[in-house]
Amino acid sequence: MSTEIALQQAEQLLSTFAKGTAKPEANRLDVTIEGSDLTAAATALQKAHWGYLSALTGVDLGPEEGAIEALYHFCEGAAITTFRVRIPRIGGALPSLQTLYPNAMFYERELLEMFGVTVTGLADTSHLFLPDGWPDGVYPLLKDANAQAAAERASASEPPEMGRQGDKFIVPIGPQHPALKEPGHFEFGVDGELVTSAKVRLGYVHRGIERATQERNYVQNLYLVERVCGICSHSHANAYALAVEKLAGVQVTPRAQAIREMVACLERIHSHLLWLGVAAHEAGFETLFMYSWRDREVIMDLLERWTGNRVNYSANVLGGVKFDVSPEIAAEIRKGMDTIDERTRHYLHVTMDDTSFLQRSRGIGTISQAEADHLGVVGPVARASGVRRDIRTEAPYGGYAQFPVKIVVDAAGDLAARFKVRMEEIFESTRVIRAILDGLPEGELTVKMPRRIPAGEAISRFEAPRGELFYYVKSNGTDMPERVKIRTPSICNWISVLVKAVGSQLADVPPLLAGIDPCFSCNDRMITINRPGRGGQVLTWEDLRRQAASHTRR
Amino acid sequence: MKFGTMLRDIWGSVFKKPATQRYPFERLEAPDQFRGTLHWTPGKCNGCCLCMKDCPSNAIELITIDKKNKQFVMRYHADRCTYCAQCVRNCRLECLGMAHDEWESAGLKREDFVVNYGTEADIATLLAKHSPTDAGEPTASGAGPGGGSTATP
Amino acid sequence: MRALINLLFFPGGLFLIVLALAYEYADRKLIARFENRIGPRWFQTLADIVKLLVKEEITPATAHPVLFGVLPVVAMSGALTAALYVPLLGFRPALSFPGDLVVTLYLLSLLTMSIGMAGWNSTSRFTMVGATRSLTQLFSYEAPFMLALLGPAVVARSWQISEIVATNKGVWILLTQPFGFLVALIGLMGKLEMPPFDAPKAETEIVAGALTEYSGRGLGLFHLGKEIELLVGLTLIASLYMGGIANPLEFFVKTLVLLGILCTFHSILTRLRIDQTVGLWWRYGAVVVLAQWLVLIVWKGIVA
Repeated sequence: MSTEIALQQAEQLLSTFAKGTAKPEANRLDVTIEGSDLTAAATALQKAHWGYLSALTGVDLGPEEGAIEALYHFCEGAAITTFRVRIPRIGGALPSLQTLYPNAMFYERELLEMFGVTVTGLADTSHLFLPDGWPDGVYPLLKDANAQAAAERASASEPPEMGRQGDKFIVPIGPQHPALKEPGHFEFGVDGELVTSAKVRLGYVHRGIERATQERNYVQNLYLVERVCGICSHSHANAYALAVEKLAGVQVTPRAQAIREMVACLERIHSHLLWLGVAAHEAGFETLFMYSWRDREVIMDLLERWTGNRVNYSANVLGGVKFDVSPEIAAEIRKGMDTIDERTRHYLHVTMDDTSFLQRSRGIGTISQAEADHLGVVGPVARASGVRRDIRTEAPYGGYAQFPVKIVVDAAGDLAARFKVRMEEIFESTRVIRAILDGLPEGELTVKMPRRIPAGEAISRFEAPRGELFYYVKSNGTDMPERVKIRTPSICNWISVLVKAVGSQLADVPPLLAGIDPCFSCNDRMITINRPGRGGQVLTWEDLRRQAASHTRR
Repeated sequence: MKFGTMLRDIWGSVFKKPATQRYPFERLEAPDQFRGTLHWTPGKCNGCCLCMKDCPSNAIELITIDKKNKQFVMRYHADRCTYCAQCVRNCRLECLGMAHDEWESAGLKREDFVVNYGTEADIATLLAKHSPTDAGEPTASGAGPGGGSTATP
Repeated sequence: MRALINLLFFPGGLFLIVLALAYEYADRKLIARFENRIGPRWFQTLADIVKLLVKEEITPATAHPVLFGVLPVVAMSGALTAALYVPLLGFRPALSFPGDLVVTLYLLSLLTMSIGMAGWNSTSRFTMVGATRSLTQLFSYEAPFMLALLGPAVVARSWQISEIVATNKGVWILLTQPFGFLVALIGLMGKLEMPPFDAPKAETEIVAGALTEYSGRGLGLFHLGKEIELLVGLTLIASLYMGGIANPLEFFVKTLVLLGILCTFHSILTRLRIDQTVGLWWRYGAVVVLAQWLVLIVWKGIVA
C-alpha cells in the first residue's frame, strides 16, 4: 500500500488513543499517547499487521521540563508512525511491549539503563550495554549526568559466575572466543550437545557514541558516527548525512547521490564477502574463508584507490561527497566488478552445491516467514525467510530512485538461504555499480550547507549490509545536535539467535550466530570512561602474567 | 551428491604464486588518494582556524606566535588524527594536505606523535617559551569540541 | 645397549621426533599452499615445540594436578612406543612380535583416550565438551579403522606387522581391497582429528576442545604425540596397502602422496558435526568395511 494510505490507516487505528497528532514529514505520523494507553495502542497496530517496531528513542527534555520523551517508531514500508510518550524524569514508568514485539526487550533495556525509566513487565532488567560495575542511579544519557563522577565510582566488573544452574551445563561463548570476531558474551545451557537455553550480554565495545554526539558539532559527528562500525561505516555516515540534510532542507545533487550509492554498493559487496568467509570459518570450511577474503581484497584495493582508505572512507560531507569518479577509476571499478562476479558465481556454486557444506547449512536455524515477522528481524535474515523488507525498495532514498535495486528474497529461511540471499545481493550490487558508471549524472558534488541546523526532528532509514539502520536526529538550532539516536540492524536480529539456538545442536550455534552477520561494534555505541588526570595504570609484563594466571592457578 | 567443489581452486593454487604480500620485504605503493599523515605549509595560513573547528578528535592546534604577521605554529597530534581529511577540505587557502606515502607511523612513545609544523624560527620561539605538553593529556588551551579560538598556551 | 639406542635415538626417540616435525611441516605447508597462502618456514614446527616446552604450565585450580601432569607423558609414550613397531623409513621395525598390529593400534588409541581423560580432568566447560566429542569420535571410527587395517593381515595370514609387510612385498593391496584402503585413509583422518573430523577440537565452537586448559609442556607433549601419530598412521597405511616400503626414498614418496591425499580431503570438506560423524561411520564406514571383509573371507576361503 502507498505511504499515504498506510498513514491514514494508522491514524484511524490510533484515533481512540491519540492525544494529538502531527505530520512533521510526508511519510511520518507523530501520535502523542499516554503511557497507560501504550500497550493498547501497540496491540491495535499489531492486530492490523501494521508494520513492525523499528526503534525506541529516549529523549531527555532536560531538568527544567522534568520529563523524558519515549518515541516508539513503527515502520510500514516507507511510512513511520511514532508514538510520543511523555513520562516524568524521576520515577517515570512504562509498560513493556515484550510480549507483542520480542525485540522490544533490547530497546527497553537500553531505555532503562540509559535514562532510568522503569519498564514494568520486563523479564530481564540487567544491564545490556553498561558494564556490571556501573554505579546505580547514574544514567548516561540524561543531560545532567556526570559521566566522570560515575567513572570514579565504577567498580571493576567481575567475570560472570560460570557454574551449573540446576541440571544445566553452561557453555560460555565470549567475550574472548575464536568464534567471535568481536567481544560479546553468550551463555548456552547445554544438555550433551543439545542447547537448552540462551542468554546474551552485549556492551563490551560500548563507546559512548550517542552521548558523544551531543558534545560535538554536526561536521565532527559525521566522522564520529562513521566509526560506529568499520564494515558499515559508510551506511552510518550516509544515514546521518541524510537526516541532517533533511533538517537543513538541503537537497544533494544527483551526481553526489549516485556516488554515495556507488560507495554503498561497494561496501555491501565487501561486507558480504567478509561474511561469507566468516560464516564458512564458523562452520569449519577454512578454504572458503581464505579464498573469499582473498577476493575481497579486490574491493578493498578499489576503495583505497578511489576514496583514500580501505575502511572508513569518509566519502561524505554534509551536502555532498568529497571526490569524483575519474575515467581511470571507472575503468578499474568495471574490471573489479567482472572479477567479483566471476568469483561470486563460483562461491554461490560452492555454497549451494557442495554436499559437505550443505550438511552444515541446510535446515539449520530455519525461521519461518511468520516467525520472522513476529520477531522483527531485518536485513538479509528477514529476506531469507521470505519477508520482503528492504529499505532500498520500500522507501528509496538518495540515488535509489534513479538507480533502483531489485529485492532479493528466498523462502527457505535456513542458513543456506541466507548464503543465497547475500550472494545474490552481491550480483545486484555489481549490476547497480555498472549501471551508475554508465549513467552517472552530471553536476556539482556538493551544495552549500548551513552550519547551524534549524530546530526539528528527522528520521532517516538506510539499508546497511546487515539490515535497516535507523537514525533519529533532533536539532535545536545550534551547530550541535540535541539528540542522535542510532538503532543498528544487529540489535534487531539477536532475538532470532536466542530463539533459534534453543533446541539446536551446540555445533550449530556458531554458524547460527554468524548467520545474522552480527556487528557488535554497531550494537554497542555507548560508553565513555576517559579519566583524564588519573594517569592510567601501567601494568608490567609480570603484572599481566600474574593477573592472567590468577583466575586458574591453584 | 557433490563433493570437492573447491578442488580446482586448491590444486590450481599449488602452482600459482601465493596471494600473500611479503611485507616488509615486498612493499606495495599506496595509491595517490591515500590519506596519510597531515602536512601544513606555514606561509599561506591566515589563522582562520576552520580546520581546528571541525576536527572530530582535536588533533590540530593552531598556536599564534604573531597574528598580524601571520606567524603560526600548527601542532599536529598524529595519534589523535582520524585521517578523515575534513581539515583539508575546510581550508580555503590550501595549506593542508595528506601525504599518501606516509602510512607506516607506528611509534613507541606518545611524544613522537606530536608534530610541530611551522618555520624554524617560529617553532624555536614556541619551544623556548613553553615546555612540551604532557603526553596524552588534552591541553586546556586546545580547541574544545564544537568551537575554538586560536590557542595561546 | 642396542635397545637403548633404538629407544632414544634411532629409529625411536630423537629421530622419530625430528621426522614427525618434518611431516607436520609438510602438512601445514601443503594446506597453506592449497589455500593460496605461504605457510610456515622450515623450522617453524621445531620452533613451536621448543616454545611450548619452555613455557610456563598453568594448572587449573579444580583439576587433579598429578593427572594433569602425567597424562601428556602417557600420551607421548603411547605414540613413541607405537612407532617402534612400524617400518619407519623402510627399515625393519625395531621391535616385533606376533600380534603387534593390534598392539600398535591400541597404543595409538591410548593417545586419544589420554586426551579424553585430560579434557575431563581439566573440568572446564570447553574441555568437557571436547573430551566427550573426542571419545565419541573414537568409538565411531575405531572399529571400521581397525577392520580396514586388518584386511592385509588376513591376506598375509599374520598379525605381525613385519611379517605382513614381508609377505605382501610388492603387492599393492589397495588395488584388491580399495574400500578397505579408503576406510583406512579416512579412518586415519578421524584418528588424527583432521578436518572434516575435527569436531573434538572445533576451534570456533569449543576453543581448543579437550586441550584448552593445557599450555606449556603439557600441550607440547600432546602436540608432539599427535604428530608422531600422523607419521605412524601414514607409515602403517603405506606399508600395508601400498606394497611395502623397500627403501627410504620409497617411504618418503609413498607417505607424502598419502599426506597429499589427506590434505586434499582436509581442504575441500567442511567440518562434520559430531552426530554426523557418528552417523557417517556407523552407517557407511562400518557397512563398507564389513562388506569388504565378507568378500575377503569368501575369496580367501574358496579361492585361496
